[in-house]
Amino acid sequence: MLPSYILHAQEINYMALAVEMIGIRKEFPGVVANDNVNLSVEQGEIHALVGENGAGKTTLMNILYGLYRAEAGTIKIRGKEVHIHRNSDAITLGIGMVHQSFKLVPSFTVAENITLGAEPRKFIFTDRNAVRKNVQEISERFGLQVDPDTRIRDLPVGVQQRVEILKALYRNADILILDEPTAVLTPQETRDLFGVVRSLVAKGKTVIFITHKFREVMEISNRVTVMRDGKVVATKETRDTNPAELARMMVGREVLLRVDKEKARPQEAVLQIQNLKVLDNRNLQAVRDVSLEVHKGEILGIAGVEGNGQRELVEAIVGLRPAIKGAIQVKGKEITGLSVRDRRETGISCVPEDRYVRGVALGASIEDNLIVGNYFKEPMSKGQVLNLSKIADFARDMVKKFDVRTPGTTIPAFTLSGGNLQKVVLAREISAEPELLIVAQPTRGLDVGSIEFVHRRIVEARDKGAAVLLVSAELEEVMSLSDRISVIYEGRIVGTIDADLATEEGLGLWMAGVTDHHKPDEIPAAGDQLDIDQKEANLV
Amino acid sequence: MSSISIPKKSGFLTNLQRSMGGVLRRSLTIFLSVFLAIIVGSIIMLLYGQNPIMIYKLLIMGAFGSQVGFFVTIQRATPIIFTAVASALAFRTGVFNVGVEGQFFIGAIAGTYVGYAFKMPTIIHLPLSLLAGFAGGALWAFFPTLMRQKLGVSEIITTIMTNYLATYLISWLTTYPLAASAVTSETPFVQPTAVLPQFQEFTPFGKGTQASVGIFIALGVAFVMWYIFKRTKLGYEWRMVGLSSLFSEFGGINLNKTFIGGMLVSGGIAGLGGAVEILGVWRKYKNLFAVGFGFKGNLAALLGGQNIIGSTVAASLYGAMESGALGLEWNAGVPRQLIDIVVGLIIFFMAAEGMWDFLRKIKIARGEPARRTTENLEV
Ligand SMILES: Nc1ncnc2c1ncn2[C@@H]1O[C@H](COP(=O)(O)OP(=O)(O)O)[C@@H](O)[C@H]1O
Ligand SMILES: [Mg+2]
Repeated sequence: MLPSYILHAQEINYMALAVEMIGIRKEFPGVVANDNVNLSVEQGEIHALVGENGAGKTTLMNILYGLYRAEAGTIKIRGKEVHIHRNSDAITLGIGMVHQSFKLVPSFTVAENITLGAEPRKFIFTDRNAVRKNVQEISERFGLQVDPDTRIRDLPVGVQQRVEILKALYRNADILILDEPTAVLTPQETRDLFGVVRSLVAKGKTVIFITHKFREVMEISNRVTVMRDGKVVATKETRDTNPAELARMMVGREVLLRVDKEKARPQEAVLQIQNLKVLDNRNLQAVRDVSLEVHKGEILGIAGVEGNGQRELVEAIVGLRPAIKGAIQVKGKEITGLSVRDRRETGISCVPEDRYVRGVALGASIEDNLIVGNYFKEPMSKGQVLNLSKIADFARDMVKKFDVRTPGTTIPAFTLSGGNLQKVVLAREISAEPELLIVAQPTRGLDVGSIEFVHRRIVEARDKGAAVLLVSAELEEVMSLSDRISVIYEGRIVGTIDADLATEEGLGLWMAGVTDHHKPDEIPAAGDQLDIDQKEANLV
Repeated sequence: MSSISIPKKSGFLTNLQRSMGGVLRRSLTIFLSVFLAIIVGSIIMLLYGQNPIMIYKLLIMGAFGSQVGFFVTIQRATPIIFTAVASALAFRTGVFNVGVEGQFFIGAIAGTYVGYAFKMPTIIHLPLSLLAGFAGGALWAFFPTLMRQKLGVSEIITTIMTNYLATYLISWLTTYPLAASAVTSETPFVQPTAVLPQFQEFTPFGKGTQASVGIFIALGVAFVMWYIFKRTKLGYEWRMVGLSSLFSEFGGINLNKTFIGGMLVSGGIAGLGGAVEILGVWRKYKNLFAVGFGFKGNLAALLGGQNIIGSTVAASLYGAMESGALGLEWNAGVPRQLIDIVVGLIIFFMAAEGMWDFLRKIKIARGEPARRTTENLEV
């Protein structure tokens, strides 16, 4: 006979599960999105849910949040079996969810969005003062700073996300689901978010954190559940696992987290920029004074916090934005006066940072997206007439070479996942055999497998003799791909260093605009401070 | 290189279903809208004391059931095909050209003028008159285009303004400088060398109707435009700019050239339609003879899903309904406004689909359950 306090302890342990999902099954036409899925989340923990795009994470959470109904399985909340038929049931049970794409009304203020649908009322009217007061009160209670009167459309993404979290908290959420919250955030915003998540947990909330970045799993979670193809592969204590193991479980095979590349053999300069000045959309100087060179056969990485002029720099090179001062030369030829088309014809290709806006026309077919750089040339067209069969051949060839997963080349681009879309962009830009390849934020929002693929293609382009200019906000990416690294800060290059000599700390200081104390040669060599495991974690 | 990518079973089928879904949903929308419009139209007819089944039957019979009806359908459809193709072309390149109406007028008066003011052999005179129509329409589209490209003024506003301008300009022209006499508001007849033959003039068919060989020009223009869109570099540029000007700019397509080109051709086709209508049917310009052709074309293009073939079919059906309605008025004494109501209803229900979409978004914003969430747009 067990002493009663042990029984009691067991009961507490049992009660300590915030969420238990048992044997969940959900089918969509043609796909089993969740197949006998078990998930248990302890009270007060940060539980990471990882898996590639399409693994079924969002579906599982939508079931918990009452947006989808499972075909089989049971759900227990705080130890009690519950029936969640609709969203309001989930909200009553204290479940809140921040979706991958936010569901805010852009023209409403922060306060209006937070209270939308649950407004404090005076008679039949919304009590505006109470709305503001409630919002202020809740934002103070959880230490989530927002200005209740700003309109959503004027806020950066990171703050919009904070509003979404507040919206859930306003509805008394105890269990908070964050669906890929970092996919749209800058490193700084991510750090802020982590702070918010930790403080929520300290106040007794439970957080389910969906991501496919191992670094984030390792940094923030207590436990992690890995999903693949609709099934749970494993649930582990975070401290008992490592990025390599997570990647293997997620993808189902060994994945190279490190970029495999040979030493660069740089040759003559292909891109030469001197004293470039460029304005941003508000007519402020975004690029203040940039001079740089990229050589044939090397990758120059531009590191920097987003919004320090990277976007404008790239746009000025490809011809989308005028240079107000300075020179840009490709293979010795001045290009500042040329049109986008003429610049492309001199050998510039670009994978733009906003894949969905500049990179592809979502409504156009994959074929049409692939030929924008060569439709006007033989063999894609002759005279005015397009050669449709040549175009189809070309598209099929590209889809095969770049492993774009699609049932055909004439279906619209919006049917493709982010990773496959990026492959389409890469295929178009790399197949032009550019002298200068610009890649901006090439792996943002992609899953591990696609990241590996994209990185390989970039290195391959370099080895075939392209000069590559890589712009990325992911420091790990810049460090692992580049041969040389320049850091941009407030529109200026504050330093350039050989990738072999660069450290995260040194670059980080540069990115923060600190240049006095560290000359490049004083920065300690790689490997001195990071052990291998940590380095691996940093790569993704 | 497929060894380094990840097998993922889930994608194929769903992707296909999603893209199929677009076409299906579109067809379903049109079908449902027409169906609902017919139902509501019936109710209105019942209220009006008419038997809807009989009216719909007479309508179809009127449009296709007799030789006269058929040729009236042709006559009515011809100008609308021009304005519908012109609208579809503009819409597809991303310009909301509401100015088709005015461009049609100006093309008509330009065609009329060249048609009556000069004496030439047919082989030159007729093409020249048609060309004048095209040029007139293109010119009328040029001002709004210029204002949009240079000053950023919305083409919706400027084309509406140019529509008014066209009406006033033509009232003045037909009353003063181009008037046939001091007491009328119409131009002289065009020369016989500038006339498009009517079927009744050279075949045993179409007696009592004014259907002309203009229909062949209309269908020819539709075919050529379809070909240009599908098979030429120009068409590719139009399509891409219409789908995403930001992508097109990035890809090296010259936006200015494409916009201006698309708008000019759109206006030109509308103007050509005006000239064809004059040279084929009326043979002189009577003030305000043609109000509404442009708007009907706008609507037909929307109904036809903004593609050339769809718009041509919708325009022909529009013509058929008008012809049927005409027959109704003659035979059953039913006012043709009833038909206008049915057409209006179709448009209304199609627009309502957009409303449902909007309402759904609001629901999502309020955190209420949505049948389908936006997760598919993976970030
Ligand atoms: N509303 C839906 N209709 C049809 N299929 C869907 C729907 N939502 C998700 N799916 C499919 O279910 C699978 C799992 O998707 P999802 O849960 O969004 O994955 P994740 O969030 O892990 O990326 C995918 O194959 C996806 O295409
Ligand atoms: Mg998801």
